[in-house]
Amino acid sequence: MIRPVTTTIVCVAVAIAANLSAQPPAGEFDPAAVERGQQLLSTQCGFCHGANARGGSSGPDLTRSALVQTDEGGTQLGQFLRVGRPDRGMPAFDFTDAQMADLAVFLHSAIRANANRRAYRILDVLVGDAKAGEAYFNGEGRCATCHSPQRDLHRIGAKYDPPTLQNRMVLPRGAVAAPNRPPEPAHLDRNAIKATVTIAGGESITGAVVRLTDFDVAIYDPASGQTRTWLRSGDAPRVVVTDPLQAHVDQLAKWTDADMHNVTAYLAGLK
Amino acid sequence: MMLKTIAALLFAMAAAQTGSLLLDPATIARPAVDSWPTYHGDYSGRRYSTLKQITTANVKSLTLAWVYRLNTQRAAAIVGGEGPDAAPPAAPPVVKSTPLMINGVLYFSAPDHVWAIDARTGRENWHFAWKTRGGDHIGNRGVGIYGNWLYFLTPDNYFVSLDARTGKERWHHEIASMKREYFSSNAPIIVGRNVIVGVGGDALDIPGYLESRDPENGEVVWRWNTTPRPGDPGANSWPDEYAMSSGGGMPWLPGTYDPDLNLYYIGTGNPQPVLTGQSRPGDNLYTCSIVALHPDTGKMAWYYQVTPHDTHDWDAAQTPVLIDGVINGQPRKLVAQASRNGHFILLDRTNGAHVLTSKLIESANWTKEINGTGQPIGNRAKDASVPGTLVSPDTNGATNWPPPSFSPDTGLFYVGTQQAYSIMYLTDTDPRPQGWAAAERSVGRVASALKAIDYQTGKVRWSHPLALTASGSAGGPMGLLSTAGGVLFGNDGGTNFVAYDAATGKALWHAGLGTNTTNGPQTFLLDGRQYIVVGAGDALYAFALQP
Repeated sequence: MIRPVTTTIVCVAVAIAANLSAQPPAGEFDPAAVERGQQLLSTQCGFCHGANARGGSSGPDLTRSALVQTDEGGTQLGQFLRVGRPDRGMPAFDFTDAQMADLAVFLHSAIRANANRRAYRILDVLVGDAKAGEAYFNGEGRCATCHSPQRDLHRIGAKYDPPTLQNRMVLPRGAVAAPNRPPEPAHLDRNAIKATVTIAGGESITGAVVRLTDFDVAIYDPASGQTRTWLRSGDAPRVVVTDPLQAHVDQLAKWTDADMHNVTAYLAGLK
Repeated sequence: MMLKTIAALLFAMAAAQTGSLLLDPATIARPAVDSWPTYHGDYSGRRYSTLKQITTANVKSLTLAWVYRLNTQRAAAIVGGEGPDAAPPAAPPVVKSTPLMINGVLYFSAPDHVWAIDARTGRENWHFAWKTRGGDHIGNRGVGIYGNWLYFLTPDNYFVSLDARTGKERWHHEIASMKREYFSSNAPIIVGRNVIVGVGGDALDIPGYLESRDPENGEVVWRWNTTPRPGDPGANSWPDEYAMSSGGGMPWLPGTYDPDLNLYYIGTGNPQPVLTGQSRPGDNLYTCSIVALHPDTGKMAWYYQVTPHDTHDWDAAQTPVLIDGVINGQPRKLVAQASRNGHFILLDRTNGAHVLTSKLIESANWTKEINGTGQPIGNRAKDASVPGTLVSPDTNGATNWPPPSFSPDTGLFYVGTQQAYSIMYLTDTDPRPQGWAAAERSVGRVASALKAIDYQTGKVRWSHPLALTASGSAGGPMGLLSTAGGVLFGNDGGTNFVAYDAATGKALWHAGLGTNTTNGPQTFLLDGRQYIVVGAGDALYAFALQP
């Protein structure tokens, strides 16, 4: 008896969570219905409203239409389509109930896709000139001061997808989390910002900054694998911060977007 | 003037009939030190208190008076709303609202919840819980009070009124459609008989508007559309009706008010689509603007556009702070904004004339020029592109909604800032892109600081770096409060609530709350004791000097 009750509660909770976050749960829109609705739209409505429903030669954008956006499962849309708006050149349509439902599913899925920016797909990052990127890498960008395609960047183009590669080229802070696993704490990253704390008596401890405020400093001590904390009063204990990525931080103000795309193209070719 | 007098008279008569009222709206303009009757404490948006029991000399003795952890249980609550009975698996609520304090009671909110708690003890008087239908639960800025009536907005776009004495609901009205991705998070501001509320939402290309609602029945008194309609002034800043009537401009934060000029000042949101302008060439009025409205009619007196043709989500919704100052030896009525686009803007608030513009952060890389009227003009090469554009600030901006502060004693405007970069990728190349139309990938935050800006020059007088972690700077935008005791209350990005010396930026006192403060701190005098109240995460904290 326990299992069905639990399942019901979980289902309700999932449905409400999905509603609250305004994200479509997987399978909210039946792909076959979306496909049929899109076909119907492009053959019956596309001439005026555009093949993607964003407006055409004479008809308005349906994805921005308040009537469509507030429609419930084709009900209001159906009422409107059966009458049309003849005075403004919009004829009545005699769709079946099933067709009306398909059309509504397509329009609602298109609207949801517009609204769901977390799911937007990055198009084409690799538009740069790899040769120019290589020249920038070895020349003006001074990347070769620290990096080499034979050593740390060996086959780097095979390691990351292009947007991730470009992001990490600009600032490789934090490890890329493995799929379905939480990211490691930032202080375990080898590129973490470091600090050397010098305490009374002259002992110095260097490690990744866990936190540094006016009132305390905590660093991760790699020797012991533990975090150590000191309260601060003015400049005691003395704290000196170093950032292994300082050159990357300084470069942020120097990048042109063209140079960035060129070097990304160069690195993407290192496979 | 006549109308205002009659309204005040009617109100006084109503008060006489019903006994003493909680809050006479006529007093909001010049609040007593034993109250905090409106979102910013008064209408000016300065978040400056004349209280000086707590000073730079004794703030070291500030101690905890009480803690109230947000109770969201429906069991003992007064429940309203149109949603299902089953409580959703809510994320822990966060205090973003600034509590009002009237007659020893604090009134504040989080999405779907309002509380009245005793200001002396932090114990709950009543709790109202709203059964939601959905909507973005990102935050709620607070409540408004008129007489005995309390007003707030819900994520599913209801304008709700309660009896502030009991927490019982009077009525609710829907002000926008959740299906169009509107959501509401604003704190209502009371000006005369106007309860002023604005809508939010930028997932779809929808029009923004601000409304005055009647305090008794909640009906619309006036509506001001943040973008023009064909034929209206400003319509020529859009290519067509299609673009302007779905052009966004959400007025999602509370405004400020000058009772002498009788003008209400509001910052408007970004245009739609958010991260590309290809379907909306032009300045896109009145998005990303500081606007002065007549509060009794909703008619616009003047506007100043802080970011013409924004393409980076840098709304100008941040508080327009009213400063009575001196420029070149002349007394001036001014309005200042530390804007999300990375600039500090100072205007004459009588007519919107530009006084000065200065850069708020060093990393901002998107401007081509500052034009003759002080507007930062975008370099279109820094718009989102298919292969990615490296932009600073990121979409969160140089600063954001948390309220800044201005102290007339120091002449300094205080604001929390951050310098972050991101890469913005155009993902929708259609001639009619929709929604955000681009994806953002964060690069990182390279600096964050609490800054004190000399309003007369726009120059930074002092800058206090915030906390550091292994992955970069922490914190940035923060709610601030300055006082006649010379103290500036804020955070340090490192989960400490901090009292700074307002003149120098030196940290004088701190409390390790374990999470950064999440609202604007406020203060009041009660039984002769000055309290400082601040929200951090899911708790409200009160501090006072050791008795």
